[in-house]
Amino acid sequence: MGVGQLLTYPFMQHAVLAVLFAGIAFPLIGVFILSLNLIPLRFAMMHVALLGGAVGLFLRVDPLFLGLLFCGLSSLVLGPVSEKTKVGLGALSGYLMTLTLAIAFILFYKANIHVVQAFSILWGSILSLTFWDLVLVILVSLLILGLVVFFFKEIQAILYDREVALAVGLPERRLYYVMVFILGLTIAASMRMIGALLIDAFVLLPAIAANLVSRNLKQVFLFSSAFGVISGMGGLYLALVFDLPTSSTIILVASVIIGICFIYQRRRVFYGKKMAA
Amino acid sequence: MHHSIELENIHARFGHVPVLDGVTILASPCEFVAVVGANGAGKTTLLKITNGTVRAEQGSAKVLGYDLSRSDHCHRVRKDIGLVPQRTISHRFPISVEEAVLMGRYGKIGLMRRPGKADRDKAGVSMEAVGILPLSKKLVHELSGGQQQKVALARALAQEPSILLLDEPTTYLDADSSSEIMDTIHTIHHERRLTTLLVSHDPQWIDQYCNKIYLLKDGKSSLIRG
Repeated sequence: MGVGQLLTYPFMQHAVLAVLFAGIAFPLIGVFILSLNLIPLRFAMMHVALLGGAVGLFLRVDPLFLGLLFCGLSSLVLGPVSEKTKVGLGALSGYLMTLTLAIAFILFYKANIHVVQAFSILWGSILSLTFWDLVLVILVSLLILGLVVFFFKEIQAILYDREVALAVGLPERRLYYVMVFILGLTIAASMRMIGALLIDAFVLLPAIAANLVSRNLKQVFLFSSAFGVISGMGGLYLALVFDLPTSSTIILVASVIIGICFIYQRRRVFYGKKMAA
Repeated sequence: MHHSIELENIHARFGHVPVLDGVTILASPCEFVAVVGANGAGKTTLLKITNGTVRAEQGSAKVLGYDLSRSDHCHRVRKDIGLVPQRTISHRFPISVEEAVLMGRYGKIGLMRRPGKADRDKAGVSMEAVGILPLSKKLVHELSGGQQQKVALARALAQEPSILLLDEPTTYLDADSSSEIMDTIHTIHHERRLTTLLVSHDPQWIDQYCNKIYLLKDGKSSLIRG
């Protein structure tokens, strides 16, 4: 069966549309994560989602819905709590990560949940997205795009330096909390598509590549989206043609893009020094 | 007498450690005031209280007539205060000098609005005032420490502030650059009729420029000149 024929199936259409929207929007969150050093928060969100899944399996409620709900709620309170307690987002994320994992294991043990079933939330599947999963990905994507387009200058100032953003008179804290909240939603939405373990394929890797070749924040955002779409679509195509796991092929394409960007950046630095000499 | 900056009997902590224990700093309009003290004396905390980003535990903090115990007043007053922070600019993504200076306008432009020609012109005037207009297209991380300090100063001026706060403006600079940046600050202070509050651990670059000097020691302030 050819790729063209596969595209006539609803599951394939869902996958292509999800990759397109997530490819454009999710790497923008990767730019936030890199600039604000929110990598511990991303790990914490993955574990919070796992706890949501565990509670879902325990209560026989959709585990993915509860994963999303838990991520949304915790990302809503995490920013303000870390600022008020002055513990720092990194330390608080570490605390949350271990606590949620411990509670999840207790639930698995007490409810006699099979470990493979429990951890299915960690690897997701882009080819089994339902219509409502697709709607969720599109909604989160539009939310991210809206935030970046309408609040570009505010985001630019916060990513540049939070102290400067506050000092020039922007409502820095409120905007920062919104960014952390949308990060939580993005992690939760990504999990259904690609799994918690490979979230970086959509969120972080395109942003890393874009940082290597850009000369301003607008370019970082634009290249991140472009690389996100290329790696998503390219990975999906390779997975179908060579019968490989989609998440892995998306990661591979994204990694090749990073390699190319790295070589480009080194050549630019080399020729820049040569010209200066 | 009406003061632009009126900090009276200020108490503040850094974590659990009390750093300010009844500090009083007064600055009249157009006055150039310096606060000197050793590292850890609470100078940066004092500046943060002045621009409303940190609340004093006790005492009265009034800036431009605004009572800084009120959140809405803090938010309002920040738009009229230009801050040049101590640490060097972070390089989380590439940014040109022009864009970095334009950020000074962001608070006054308002949420979700793009900077217009008038804002770019004001950023240009600020860059010219500190002598970095020829560098406007360069990336900030490609500049020297002294030039980066001037970018921070130009950004603060682009705000068109009434008050300029400077946190150790010469810390990372050599003697020539320190002298140059202090001359620039002094000229701008007079030309724009600013109220300037500078904190430093090194009195070497301050003496000739200031109307008034406070010493911050053991959490207390004492006026040593002016």
